[in-house]
Amino acid sequence: MLFTTDTQTIEDLNIFGRQATDQTVFGIFNQCLTKGGSAILEQMFRNPLSNHSAINNRSGTIRYFASNGMAFPFRPDLFPQIEQYLAITDERTRLVEKNQPLVVKTKQWVAPETETVLLQQGVRSVVQLLQSVFNFISSAPVLKAGFYAEERTAIAYLLSIPDFADALAAPAKLSSAMVSGLDSVFRFRNRSNLRDLLKYCYQLDVYTATAKVAVQHGFAFADAVINGDALIDLDGFYHPTLVQAVPNTIRIDHEHNIVFLTGANMAGKSTLMKALSLAVYLAHMGFPLAAKSMKFTVMNGIYTTINLPDNLSIGASHFYTEVLRLKKIAGELANGARLFIVFDELFRGTNVKDAFEATIAVTGAFANRRNSLFIISTHIMEAGEVLQKGYDNIRFTYLPTGLDGNKPIYTYSLKNGISSDRHGMVIVRNEGILQMLEEGAWEI
Amino acid sequence: MSFITDKQTLDDLNILGRFNRDSIFNLYNNVKTRGGERLLENMFARPLTDLAAINKRSEIFRYFQEKQFKFFQDTKNFQQAETYLSNPLNDSYTKRLSNIALLKFKQVLLHDEQYAILETGIKATLITFAQCKDLALQFEKESDGSWGYQFAQAFELLNHFPLLERDKADQDKPLTIAELARYDFWFRCKFKIAIAKLLSVIHDLDVWISVSDISRKKGFNYAHACPTSDHIISIEGLRHPALPAAVPNNMLLDGRTNFTFLTGANMAGKSTLMKAFGIAVYLAHMGFPVAVEKMEFSVKDGIYTSINVADNLDQGLSHFYAEVLRIKKVAEEVSAGKKLVVIFDELFKGTNVKDAYDATLAVTLAFAKYKGCFFLVSTHITEVGDALMTAVGHVQYAYLPTSLENGSLRYSYKLKEGISTDRQGMLIIRNEGILELLAKDQVNSN
Repeated sequence: MLFTTDTQTIEDLNIFGRQATDQTVFGIFNQCLTKGGSAILEQMFRNPLSNHSAINNRSGTIRYFASNGMAFPFRPDLFPQIEQYLAITDERTRLVEKNQPLVVKTKQWVAPETETVLLQQGVRSVVQLLQSVFNFISSAPVLKAGFYAEERTAIAYLLSIPDFADALAAPAKLSSAMVSGLDSVFRFRNRSNLRDLLKYCYQLDVYTATAKVAVQHGFAFADAVINGDALIDLDGFYHPTLVQAVPNTIRIDHEHNIVFLTGANMAGKSTLMKALSLAVYLAHMGFPLAAKSMKFTVMNGIYTTINLPDNLSIGASHFYTEVLRLKKIAGELANGARLFIVFDELFRGTNVKDAFEATIAVTGAFANRRNSLFIISTHIMEAGEVLQKGYDNIRFTYLPTGLDGNKPIYTYSLKNGISSDRHGMVIVRNEGILQMLEEGAWEI
Repeated sequence: MSFITDKQTLDDLNILGRFNRDSIFNLYNNVKTRGGERLLENMFARPLTDLAAINKRSEIFRYFQEKQFKFFQDTKNFQQAETYLSNPLNDSYTKRLSNIALLKFKQVLLHDEQYAILETGIKATLITFAQCKDLALQFEKESDGSWGYQFAQAFELLNHFPLLERDKADQDKPLTIAELARYDFWFRCKFKIAIAKLLSVIHDLDVWISVSDISRKKGFNYAHACPTSDHIISIEGLRHPALPAAVPNNMLLDGRTNFTFLTGANMAGKSTLMKAFGIAVYLAHMGFPVAVEKMEFSVKDGIYTSINVADNLDQGLSHFYAEVLRIKKVAEEVSAGKKLVVIFDELFKGTNVKDAYDATLAVTLAFAKYKGCFFLVSTHITEVGDALMTAVGHVQYAYLPTSLENGSLRYSYKLKEGISTDRQGMLIIRNEGILELLAKDQVNSN
């Protein structure tokens, strides 16, 4: 079963961003040295994994490379040359070392054709890559890399193809006869094998680049728990694009599968939800994430609703857009999917009473689906008070606000309970508005 | 005393702004002369607080709207004439004559342009005066004492220029130096004060005619101003002037109920109605035509609105605090005894329900006893209305209804009495069957 998500979620989490200037999550991780590496990285971001051993394999590999400080072991400039070389598939371009007329030979020597030069260079690059890959998989750290063993074996198998024996044993300086011979071997007999090899190299680029990012940012790796009830246990998570983010800790599990988040505006609700969703998302990619540690069971999908735009062109208000989204998610849940679901400011597009009732009804319905995990934020703290009485599997958390004079101050540190920050009246009183009106000249 | 308002109010109502295409100013701005535009800008910047002045102005507009007088068809000549006339002199006739002779001399020998410019200006002035005579003809039939009669008087001056008779027939014939000198002496020296007066009359006419034309075209009407002590704002058929197909509504605020408590779902049209009301009050104080069927109002000291209060995150002010500061400002004016029209849209929307409820109720109660002021306050917290009902008697309750048709919301934009009980939210959720969907496979999953 594939891991499901949608564009709304990817946009909410700002994974790819809308504009090139955005500080995106992809941008943080994309330190790949090859174009192929970046492409694979993007595919990984678009398709998180839903199999715990695949997740653990990938995160184990990256973690191992991070702990070894392993850098990308190949010359990055070889790859564009090889790609270009392999892309020439015309039979007539095959390099030959047969009795060519002297005129042709002289011409080749005095003013060689660019294509011929390119092909010869390509052959040399392939030889060099094959030899450095051989060195790499024979090196001690790689032989010991348990999670990488499968890929190492696959690479070793590719290198053991008899056709490549000559190339692996070739001297640093290749004779022109040898170049012509290898051209046939590489370009026409083993093109797809070489493509496979390149793919492993690009993957390695992703691993080493990601390992480097993990080390640079001090990211941690999540452990995918094999079986059992749904669980997300996150210690010290924060939002990776924020400079001075406050870390928070949370546990969502079968016992408490809903987190009900309250807090004043600007207290950091949305950021917290984004940070948490992002951690879950990256964990399902087997990637390092901005937290101290994380344990989780593999889910079937993730859906966030944080910055839902209204769609006035089809006549749907914000509220109705939200309802439609809710319906879609409810449908997936009804099909038995195990989902991680986030709703920020549920039903903000309607009047308070409706929002109050709808929040209680929907949260209550969610609460019964213990296999899925939910985070729901609202500024209608009164809904929380009702839910508190009816359900014991909802965890109530809030982000507190303090007052410094009349300026609100925010700690961004998650607390248990329902926000009771009601500074509204305090501020109104402090400003002396009511008193002013009381004492004013109100007689006509 | 000038009419009190502030930038936030003008922005909320989108009143000013020559360069803002959608502003109310530009809705009314179809003047042909620069002087007219200056006058119009002045009128928009300074609504009146004097009862007689307001009624006089609206009476003139009404008169012009009814009579359908025509302004100059072609204003190019007028613009040239105005430029020429804007440099009055203190010279004698001989001095003008010698000066112009010198200019002619310069033109012939040195290709100097001044003579030609002068000639163009005088010719344009002559044509303009001829046009003015046509303009004045429209008023001659008006009875003594009417506004038109007064304008006809203003054009009397034109009869001082006997040579104007030449214009139609000999328009293309070049003027002699002597003729030029005589006209120049008349226009810029001898009659300069009278001519300046005439120009300003033309500017006035431009405003009266262009605004009343717009009013006629858009079906606007004129508000009748009453003394402050009458204490009333009564509007029939209120529309937003920028919305041609707007649904008209009636509003009444008076000594018994000086407070309207407005509720309704999102998108039901609360903000538009409040803006329409604010614009009507503002324009009525200018003596301008208003997008209403009928309107009577007692003159107020000013208007304050709080419709699109922006937060100011640079200063660390949340939306809530920005709103509080705004209310404080209004409270200061109101408690100082000013008689204001106050419009608050969706008070305290950026905070939790409890706070919003408490704050809205407290502020509303505190304001409501200022019977000299009129209030239009909207909120989505309908419970405040219930609490108000038991607390004070002089509040009226109005709402904009919503109905549900095939899962999509319909808005009538027609004001009704009472407090909105429209609760489409849960209905929509039920219609979509979300709760059933979530409950359905409870059996399977366990």
